[in-house]
Amino acid sequence: MSAPTVTPKRVELDYTGSERLTMNMGPQHPSAHGVFRAVLTLEGETVIDVDSVIGYLHRCHEKLSETLTYAQYPSIASKTDYVAAMTSEFAYVRAAEVIGKFEVPKRAQYLRVITAELQRVASHLLWLGTWCMDMGGALGGGATIFLYCIRERELILDLFESLVGARLLYGFFQVGGVRYDIPSGWADSCRQTVDVIDQRISEYERMLENNPFFMARAQGVGVISRELAESVGISGPLLRGSGVAWDLRRADPYSSYEDFEFKVPVETAGDCFARYRVRMVEFRESLKIVRQALDKLPEGPISSRPGLKSVAQTRVPKGEAYVRVEGARGEVGCYLVADGSAKPYRMKWRGASFSNLAILPHIIPGHKVADIVAIMGSVDPVFGEVDR
Amino acid sequence: MLELVTPLIAPIVVLHVVIGIVTYVTLLERKFAARMQSRIGPYRVGYHGVLQPIADAVKLMMKEDVVPTAADKPVYNLAPIVFLVPCMFIFATLPFAPGLGVADLNIGVLFFLAVSSMEIVGLFMAGWGSNNKYALLSAMRAVNQVISYDLPFVFSALIPVVLAGSLKLSDIAAAQSGLWFIFYPVIGQLAFIAFIVSTVAAENRAPFDILEAESELVAGFRVEYSGMKFALIQLGEYAHILGASFLGALLFLGAWSGPGPEWLGPIWFLIKAMLVFLLVTWVRWSFVRIRVDQILALSWKALLPATLLLLLATAVVVVWRANAGL
Amino acid sequence: MLGSELQTVEQVRALRDARRTDGTNVFVIVRAILSAMRMTAMNLFRKPVTVHYPEKPRTYPDRYRGLLALVYEKDTEEEACIGCRLCEMVCPPAVIKVEMLKGEKRNYAKTFTLELYACEFCELCVQVCPTDAIVMMKSFDLATADRRELLLDKDRLHAIGLQHEQSWATGNKLRDMQGPPKMARTEHAAKEETPA
Repeated sequence: MSAPTVTPKRVELDYTGSERLTMNMGPQHPSAHGVFRAVLTLEGETVIDVDSVIGYLHRCHEKLSETLTYAQYPSIASKTDYVAAMTSEFAYVRAAEVIGKFEVPKRAQYLRVITAELQRVASHLLWLGTWCMDMGGALGGGATIFLYCIRERELILDLFESLVGARLLYGFFQVGGVRYDIPSGWADSCRQTVDVIDQRISEYERMLENNPFFMARAQGVGVISRELAESVGISGPLLRGSGVAWDLRRADPYSSYEDFEFKVPVETAGDCFARYRVRMVEFRESLKIVRQALDKLPEGPISSRPGLKSVAQTRVPKGEAYVRVEGARGEVGCYLVADGSAKPYRMKWRGASFSNLAILPHIIPGHKVADIVAIMGSVDPVFGEVDR
Repeated sequence: MLELVTPLIAPIVVLHVVIGIVTYVTLLERKFAARMQSRIGPYRVGYHGVLQPIADAVKLMMKEDVVPTAADKPVYNLAPIVFLVPCMFIFATLPFAPGLGVADLNIGVLFFLAVSSMEIVGLFMAGWGSNNKYALLSAMRAVNQVISYDLPFVFSALIPVVLAGSLKLSDIAAAQSGLWFIFYPVIGQLAFIAFIVSTVAAENRAPFDILEAESELVAGFRVEYSGMKFALIQLGEYAHILGASFLGALLFLGAWSGPGPEWLGPIWFLIKAMLVFLLVTWVRWSFVRIRVDQILALSWKALLPATLLLLLATAVVVVWRANAGL
Repeated sequence: MLGSELQTVEQVRALRDARRTDGTNVFVIVRAILSAMRMTAMNLFRKPVTVHYPEKPRTYPDRYRGLLALVYEKDTEEEACIGCRLCEMVCPPAVIKVEMLKGEKRNYAKTFTLELYACEFCELCVQVCPTDAIVMMKSFDLATADRRELLLDKDRLHAIGLQHEQSWATGNKLRDMQGPPKMARTEHAAKEETPA
């Protein structure tokens, strides 16, 4: 059966006598979330067509992975989704482990879960800050919420700094486990930080819920109906905001996620406000998972392979696998073809933001120019993942 | 002799003082906003940033003046001046103390409101002359917005006029020696809120600053200006909002009335104007902005009928109190 | 079949209007506005989080991955690097270049260049070093106006090692932490490191 073709509809509004304006929201734009070029066709303030151009951040990750060994590439994998760097490393390392059938010790699995959930919280903090800043302006109320979120994100980055030594791009994962164990006292400072962030999230909710300005910008904007969500191939909070209860941590559990109790938030409205609610609940659920994992952290080794002594130490036998993790933006997948040597034969990234961006031509036409930034913000792309 | 010289010196003095206050009001806003965002504002230039506005002014004067090739040169070059002049003109009618002002006209309020709406011409000239789609979009939005909000601005400014019974600004200030108009039972507070909302919107301040939305239109109508022309536009914006703060302090907060000797009057006036300004700033840094069609809907569907009704109610109350002999 | 079920503009508009709330409850609006303004006002009275760098130095955690340096051996005061080139081979951006000099009892590094401007600070070189020769420091202050100053040769690397404070991680410590334990892991960790 051939795959159904999905063609976005070119909208023809029946304005009489108006001119169409082609405007470029270029790669250099304060709210392009990276480097994103959208060629808009406007009639007055209404967008009729959006033509997205990507590729400004292409750095040949997939070719690069063929020249680097399994020991070297995880540090580079951080650079695809640089806001939630742990998820990309997670996908790559798990792919190698699935092919080679390497066991990952329980303590390493729990550490992976802790760092992945903390990374999700940090990524969502950045999402909230930049989304409000896009809607509110760099000199205005949006910047206030942005600075508050960044202040909280700094707490999480400090935690990572005392664990790994790096703040944004880690090299925490390795094939067979993780590279670092938690220092003494880290668990307590982690719990304190989690409590502080929990309280501050309540403050943000109080600032934004029922706020008429915020609701006017977010409600009814960028509605993705359930059929559209299921047919275009988006994932993550976009999918869950449109009524589809699909979370990889539940549907396809990996790395001991089945040991933890957490809720998967689903909203049916499908607009920006629904996606906002999904992410705000995800904050709290991630913090819950971190607390549970810290309480139940088992003793044991942090890697099933001996400590890295040389570059070609890890050889993965022949095989191929597609492995996916639930990143902050959706399904991050890594398709790895191994040929028995220390370097992969082929590696392909399924970037969550790349597939999520496909929704834009469906939901933007009909809205106004000012809604584009609200929609882009709630889609939350990171262009390292899109362009790789 | 003095009567001949004073009208010549007073405007110059007032102009310089106003420009000085406007420059330092930017510093006040930056420090205030920074504290609300858990950070400190300008800190390094001078003691705690006191010399920062001067540094900014010097920098802007030394910057290269980039003019786009395809810009409409006369319109482009004149726009900052056409924008700035009305914003400076509004300080002409403001009395800073009883008898101390440049020109205390009989129709002070009318002059203020009429002149302050003329800056929209400069704004549109800037947007059109820049030959830039972003600037043009922003200028069209600006025209829509400022025109829509000038009406509630006028009506809410007329409420103190009705309460005081005169258009002359010093009369209105003198009529508040007993009770400031903001403390009038219900009308005063509602009128003040309506005044603040329409001021914020008529001057393109957040949350109604859709026309210079940095995240969408990248500085809107100012996008092609650099150097001294940009400085003039900034100056005009802050002068306008400062003038409206002074007007708000005069209309609602009793201008120069306050405890202490007579010569403290202008100081109190300044303090009250700063309070109004800080209120506007506080609103600016707390909310995201709303879309232009929502802004227009708010004005035409909500604010204009509300201020109209409030004006009618004020007139009824004033007549009833006069008849009842109060 | 799927193509015809995608959203048209009418559907977009219908969905948008259906999802909007009226928002006409004035009290809710006023309370929400005041609540937001109260939040900003509360932050006005909180202490700012700014750290007055560089007057106040920042405390770096123990494992901070800063500048790279070569160290001397503790007991013999000789260079610890034996020129084995393991770091050169593991470096992902290939910024290290080493030439070995053979000696009678042990080998040395004749030249050791590290291009710090291209370094990723991933700590893989530290991890593979058999003699704990290359380590990272708890400082990153090497900003310069000339990129050639960031092309570190052996003398520069040794000098950096003497100037700054060393991070916790060395090759043997990292390998011991990662591998299956020789003794119980928690005791090992408690002996080796200071609290972070």
